[in-house]
Amino acid sequence: MADVSFQKVRKAFGSAVAVKSLDLAIGSGEFVSLLGPSGCGKTTTLRMLAGLEFPTEGEIRIGDRVVNAVPPGQRDIAMVFQSYAPYPHMSVAENIAYPLKKRGVGRAERDAKVASVAATLQLGALLDRKPRQLSGGQQQRVALGRALVRDPKVFLLDEPLSNLDAKLRAHMRAELIELHRKLGKTFIYVTHDQLEAMTMSDRIAVMHEGDLQQFGAPMQVYEKPANLFVAGFIGSPAMNLLPGALESSGSGLAFVRQGLWLPVGAGGQAGQKVTLGVRPEDIALGSGPFVATVRIVEPTGHETIVMADIGGQSAIVRVQPDAAHVVGSEIPFAVRTSRLHAFDSVSGARLDLAFALPAS
Amino acid sequence: MKTLAGRIAFNLFAWTVVLVTAFPLIWMILTSVKPQFELFRIPPTFWPEQITFEHYTRLIYETPFLKYMRNSLILGFTTTIVVVVVATLGAHSLVRFRYPGRERLAQMVLFTYLLPSVVLILPLYLMMVWLGIANTIFSLVIAYTTFALPYALWLLRSFMQGIPDDLEAAALVDGATRMEAFVDVILPQALPGIISTSLFTFILAWNEYLYALVLVNTDEARPLTTGVMSMLVSAFNIEWSLLMAASVMMSLPLIIIFAFLQKYLTRGFGAGGVKG
Ligand SMILES: Nc1ncnc2c1ncn2[C@@H]1O[C@H](COP(=O)(O)OP(=O)(O)OP(=O)(O)O)[C@@H](O)[C@H]1O
Ligand SMILES: [Mg+2]
Repeated sequence: MADVSFQKVRKAFGSAVAVKSLDLAIGSGEFVSLLGPSGCGKTTTLRMLAGLEFPTEGEIRIGDRVVNAVPPGQRDIAMVFQSYAPYPHMSVAENIAYPLKKRGVGRAERDAKVASVAATLQLGALLDRKPRQLSGGQQQRVALGRALVRDPKVFLLDEPLSNLDAKLRAHMRAELIELHRKLGKTFIYVTHDQLEAMTMSDRIAVMHEGDLQQFGAPMQVYEKPANLFVAGFIGSPAMNLLPGALESSGSGLAFVRQGLWLPVGAGGQAGQKVTLGVRPEDIALGSGPFVATVRIVEPTGHETIVMADIGGQSAIVRVQPDAAHVVGSEIPFAVRTSRLHAFDSVSGARLDLAFALPAS
Repeated sequence: MKTLAGRIAFNLFAWTVVLVTAFPLIWMILTSVKPQFELFRIPPTFWPEQITFEHYTRLIYETPFLKYMRNSLILGFTTTIVVVVVATLGAHSLVRFRYPGRERLAQMVLFTYLLPSVVLILPLYLMMVWLGIANTIFSLVIAYTTFALPYALWLLRSFMQGIPDDLEAAALVDGATRMEAFVDVILPQALPGIISTSLFTFILAWNEYLYALVLVNTDEARPLTTGVMSMLVSAFNIEWSLLMAASVMMSLPLIIIFAFLQKYLTRGFGAGGVKG
């Protein structure tokens, strides 16, 4: 059953449209990430769900209740803000107790709950401190504590890890996954970091310029990106996008561009402009029917990233760290045809084409 | 400031400034406790040869000074409360809510502050008469509010712009109503700004002369500024000793308030220094 749903939700600030027409149904207990570049409308979506912005059009439901007109405090949601927003004049304990106080929970019960949440988040020793005496990571845990203490139905998290250093971020990522597993509540997690989205989520909603691009499981989004934007956005280093066209060849079709020529088994029509998507790990340097020129070699330790020139366009290739490639040299290469992606260059939509390597 | 000579030079400079600023105040206090005959001695004496409080007792028991003091206190506190309540709510609205003409409104408010107050006296006086409140303390409260409010509104607005939006949003999500969020979260954050605004308003109401002179001409409603002047300064004579005693007593409330609120004041003038 859907726990949270958006139906044709649109939000405009004056003439600027932040969210275009969002349809999204999130299941009960799911961990869903809203992923997209800066300014794509993630925070706006979350704030509408929290009741901090009113949608210009459309309907938002939590459970089976339409919440468009329900004030934030009565939506049974908790939110962790990107800035954490701890109340600066309250101690850590008072911060965590605040939502309970506003719900008329008695003092004794409040204290007990604050103590138990503080224990979970390892804040026990900091309860009397003021937020400005805390590190970023500790402030983040206070914000999390304020959300946890209430046992809400849905957790909303707006880039909660983006202000932390890399090590703490990895740690908190694991903690959040664990927390979600333990609580079994619906988590909606905003991030522009695809690694976070890939590792933490049950499903990812990829957004771009106020539009939902794709909504699916992490591996599905990675392996079957719905369009050019998702293809270019998900994956690091990014997928190589090589524009070309379909041309008839003999009895069938072939994808043609400078430096590449791939017979196409089914789908598509001659003359269609098509962009070929190849992930860096799906190019095999060393042997094959095509030739690339090595431009830059970047060893990272566990792998080496090679920037190569394929028919006038640079492409990124992932190779084993022991492979020795000389800058400037020309190397033959092949592509894994079963893992290629194709998109209509005009509409950007994914095309289901079956590629083959040219017979040598 | 690291060398000894540098420190000495700095201290010398600082103390000179302090002395120059404080000298009239010191002279005022000294004069107020000198007996009458010592006042006009030539050459003047700096330290009184004899200390007397007769001017103070005369002021308190033989003149309407205390009545003026009461009027000034009522005037000061009422004006401050009215201005601060309206300005705090108004500034919050100007910062938080989105409505058409918001910026225009804020600019118009500032524009009224730019008008010389003399220009507004006559219309205000006519209005007071028309409302039937001329010659009351209340009429002065309204008059002072008209010129304290724009400044207060701008001061608090810039102060509240420094309070992160998310704080209020967090309170709303945590279950507070708008009013509760304002009281629980915004007010404590805006406190230094509110205090410096209060001080500014109180001082303004306490020291104002022109409006009090024009709008009020009965002892029942006269504040200290005009009261003391009309009582002690006439065309032929100035009662210097009483005037000095009155001045000392007029300064007392401000000095007391400053002593208590000084740390907020310095913080308030560094507005926007609210850490999120
Ligand atoms: N209060 C507002 N008034 C006007 N425009 C706004 C407002 N809030 C957001 N926008 C606009 O809406 C768009 C989406 O903003 P939003 O904050 O949702 O982006 P985001 O995806 O959260 O980005 P980021 O990753 O940078 O946080 C942006 O173009 C932004 O300028
Ligand atoms: Mg955002």
